[in-house]
Amino acid sequence: MPRYAMVIDLQRCVGCGACSIACRNENNVPEGIYWSNKITETVGTFPNVRYHYIPTLCNHCEYAPCVRGCPTKAMHKLDNGITMHDPKKCIGCKYCEFNCPYGVIYFNWKEPHQFWKNNKVLFKGGTSSPREEVEKVGAEKTPYFNPERGATLPANRPKGVVEKCTFCDHRVSKGLLPTCVEACPANARIFGDIKDPDSDVAKLLGKFRPFRLREQLGTNPHIFYIRDFNPAQYRPTKGGI
Amino acid sequence: MKNEKNKIQSFVNGFRGDFVMTRRSFMKKATAATSTAVVLGGLKPSLKALAAAGEVSSGEMGEWKASTCQGCTSWCSKQVYVIDGRAVKVRGNPNSKVNNGEGCPRSHLGLQQVYDPDRIKTPMKRTNPKKGRNEDPKFVPISWDEALNTIADKIMELRKNNETHKYMLMRGRYSYMRDVLYDRMTKIIGSPNNISHSAICAEAEKFGPYYTEGYWNYRQYDVTNSRYILIWGADPVAANRQVSYYSSVWGDVIGKATIAVVEPRLSATAAKADIWLPIKPGQDGALAAAIAHVILTEGLWYREFVGDFIDGQNRFVADQEVNEEDFEEKYTHGLVKWWNLELKDKTVAWAAERTGLPADQIQHVAVEYAKATPHCISWVGGGPVMQVRGAYTSMICHALNGLTGGVDNVGGTLQSNKEYTKKFPKPNDYMDDIAKKGKKHEKIDQRGRLEFPALKKGKPGSAVVTNNAADGILNSDPMEIKVAIGYMNNFAFSCGQPERWERALSKIPFLVHITTNASEFSWFSDILLPDTHHMFEKWGYVKSIGNGYRHVTLMQPIVKPVWDYKIDETEIPWLIAEKLAERGFDNLLRHYKEYKDPETGKAPTNEKEFALYALKYATQNLWNPSQYKGGDKFNGWEEFLKIGVWNSDPYHYREHWGNMKTKTKKFEFYSETLKAALEMHAEKHNTTVDHVLEVCQYQARGERAFVPHYEEPFIAGDEKEFQFIFVDHKSRLNREGRTPNCSWYYEFKDVDPGDEIWEDVAKINPLDAQKLGIESGDEIKISSETGSLTCKAKLWEGVRPGTVAKCYGQGHWAYGTLAAKEFGKVPRGGSNNDVIPAVYDRLSGSTVRHAGTRVKIEKV
Repeated sequence: MPRYAMVIDLQRCVGCGACSIACRNENNVPEGIYWSNKITETVGTFPNVRYHYIPTLCNHCEYAPCVRGCPTKAMHKLDNGITMHDPKKCIGCKYCEFNCPYGVIYFNWKEPHQFWKNNKVLFKGGTSSPREEVEKVGAEKTPYFNPERGATLPANRPKGVVEKCTFCDHRVSKGLLPTCVEACPANARIFGDIKDPDSDVAKLLGKFRPFRLREQLGTNPHIFYIRDFNPAQYRPTKGGI
Repeated sequence: MKNEKNKIQSFVNGFRGDFVMTRRSFMKKATAATSTAVVLGGLKPSLKALAAAGEVSSGEMGEWKASTCQGCTSWCSKQVYVIDGRAVKVRGNPNSKVNNGEGCPRSHLGLQQVYDPDRIKTPMKRTNPKKGRNEDPKFVPISWDEALNTIADKIMELRKNNETHKYMLMRGRYSYMRDVLYDRMTKIIGSPNNISHSAICAEAEKFGPYYTEGYWNYRQYDVTNSRYILIWGADPVAANRQVSYYSSVWGDVIGKATIAVVEPRLSATAAKADIWLPIKPGQDGALAAAIAHVILTEGLWYREFVGDFIDGQNRFVADQEVNEEDFEEKYTHGLVKWWNLELKDKTVAWAAERTGLPADQIQHVAVEYAKATPHCISWVGGGPVMQVRGAYTSMICHALNGLTGGVDNVGGTLQSNKEYTKKFPKPNDYMDDIAKKGKKHEKIDQRGRLEFPALKKGKPGSAVVTNNAADGILNSDPMEIKVAIGYMNNFAFSCGQPERWERALSKIPFLVHITTNASEFSWFSDILLPDTHHMFEKWGYVKSIGNGYRHVTLMQPIVKPVWDYKIDETEIPWLIAEKLAERGFDNLLRHYKEYKDPETGKAPTNEKEFALYALKYATQNLWNPSQYKGGDKFNGWEEFLKIGVWNSDPYHYREHWGNMKTKTKKFEFYSETLKAALEMHAEKHNTTVDHVLEVCQYQARGERAFVPHYEEPFIAGDEKEFQFIFVDHKSRLNREGRTPNCSWYYEFKDVDPGDEIWEDVAKINPLDAQKLGIESGDEIKISSETGSLTCKAKLWEGVRPGTVAKCYGQGHWAYGTLAAKEFGKVPRGGSNNDVIPAVYDRLSGSTVRHAGTRVKIEKV
């Protein structure tokens, strides 16, 4: 059984957010919820300023606080290391959300995709309402609805349960890469089996000193960051007093 | 939304402690790591291959179909995942050698565009005869038949009255099927007035390369072989052009090359650069002049391209003239003249005073850049050149590529590869006397007049002056416009000082808009025709360069159309041609029937056949093996359609050396080509070149007009009242200003450095904000001499003090329910163009959008 992990090469990352938008598309993620996200920082004072970008997602921790705190085992670990959620067992207590040190679990306060239920029309007879558009296209909840998400999880999650990144388990099980990896134009995300010494993930981790988010908490996160968003060169200096 | 944001922010703070520590210790090892970039580059293809193999396996519900994205002018080849006739996902087409299967963030937003409920689903007509910003057009749905009949009647009326020159066609986003509607239809009806949007795009960017190396086009940049990349106001990992390609290699590029970005705002590319040069807006020419000065005085020019002093002794000494006979040039022309006329006194200290950059930084950049010769790039973007006097900045920034020999060279700046698409049949035989007479009139944008030289490709009056067409219409000069059609354009939003367009369009008695959404332009129209979306519903093709290749990529209807849209550039003109024929004028229809299917020889009999045959006709040399000329080879149309893209042969370096399309065939530091063009224009108006320059607001006189040189910026607004220079920039989520009706645009808007989700912010340096008593989140009003906008303030260190930076895109008062705060009335956010005056770089005809105006900022 593989143990899936992801390496994110920050030098390759251009901070474009294609990962997050493609994720939203693939997983039918509703507005306000971000399975794939980022931390950005502007550091320094003009004119010595840089902006940095760290892509984030569920860390698929070995010792996942969200799993430990879940009273119904709705949040659980798969044998392949993926932290998975079963909305059928979820009682919406949000313990997982509070326990997650990374803020990547979201609660569905509302029915998803409210916008598309709207009956309002801009020009009567000349444009359609969001609801009419979805019906005419023949989709579920959104016109660009991806039914393939439904293979392992309700394709659209109901109100009252949490949701988060699943490493695109529905794709991985078919031998496909997670969508954020596929959609990254910079090839900054490298996915694979960390237990396999021949995997690209394992090779990269043997080459660079990675860091992980909040490693000291002992969660053993499986998103590894290598290199730097800005590897800029600078003129050698000893500074001054 | 706000809560989500706060949540993220608090986590950022939580991470920061341990995160920064880790990164610092990591950085020590980073230098050793850069050489591994090549290894990394090799990893992804194998993973991709695995993915591709997996995707033919069971479990896949849909099919990947080839198409093209025109969200920006990278024009990437795409694949769309289609399930039951419905578009579900978008990715890069792996068959393209330009974008290499890579995508970008904005491409995904196409899905929200094609299924936008606010798209007009049927033709509509205006029922309120009064036109104006405050007049609700009261559009009601009508049939295609009624719409087309009305249009044909109006055109026939012009023909009957011998006033076909009062017909006008305005073009926005186009494919290369454009000539069917833009050129042929306008000519055969009999009007000179086909007006493209090109001058609000970046014509000034082409000016420098043309008048130095004879190339009127955008360049491709050989970044993976480059050692120093000096970028002027371009943002290749975020906006035009080849965002996907540059994104895919940038991690390697920054490991190998030094990147210096010249821009007053910290752009996405600057964020990852070695050096950020936050120049004072409009002073780019000064920096370029100083860099050239350093290269020459320090003897760092590339001798194999430029040549050398006959005795090998460098006589370029500051403030000293050089004898032309002492220098022997190779592939360049006029270096010593350039030195004597412009560069000799453009010292680093001189530039430091103007640019606001430290002298030692300028010196260091110049020397390091030149040390990388010839594998270095001076990359001219729209920023420094879409300015009043930007033509000369375009020349001087691009001229650096001549000094370093980076032009047409490994690791430098490249021209286009050859492609073999075919032009449509000529219209001449179908132009009757009315048409011929009508076409002879002067164009409505007044190009070619003394004050608009618009010197495209060396020919006076050959470049469009898009934004001035509004004044032409308003003043009925040179003619009144009675019937006009616009397609996929939105000049009432996308042009500087759009209020002029609102009045101009209101004045046109009969205006048709072919569009996906009811936009600001539509508001003044009499008939709206629902257009197809290029990526999912249209037949067409575009060509584009990058990565040392050129591709020709197809767009095709690959989804079930939800409503009754028709293709702007082919189906609609055919249908109009049919209606004109019914009215006794069949020239256009007979002309269109010449676009025969190359496979069967059959003439089209309806609009659908016409759209397809026209595309097959134009691309036949690419897919018909018996007409093969080069690049990728196909066994026929079906195969080409399936693959979706043709790739050229690889680039041949240095083929243009000594064979450039300039007067001297050389790279011109003293532009004989520009001299001839300017003299031709002066002669046409019986005057001198100096007078032309004076009228057109340039400072150069005499011989200086023919060399790349520095001109002081010309910025509207009194410095005392308007204390800030307005800095406009683009978003990585903009699909040419058309995404603000997509929720994903707002949900991810913070991928533009400094911007915020669900907001339209103006970025102000905290020092300035403090003086004004403004804090982040405050509602502010930004005003110039010509208009104002309101938006939110954002205090950000990535902006030069004395400037205010704002992203273009929001501020729509039409376009859709999400784009406008209140449709037809109140904009969401502020439109940059509302403060940018209608001013021009007159030599190229370009509309100014950078360093065009000063503004004041007030708390609302």
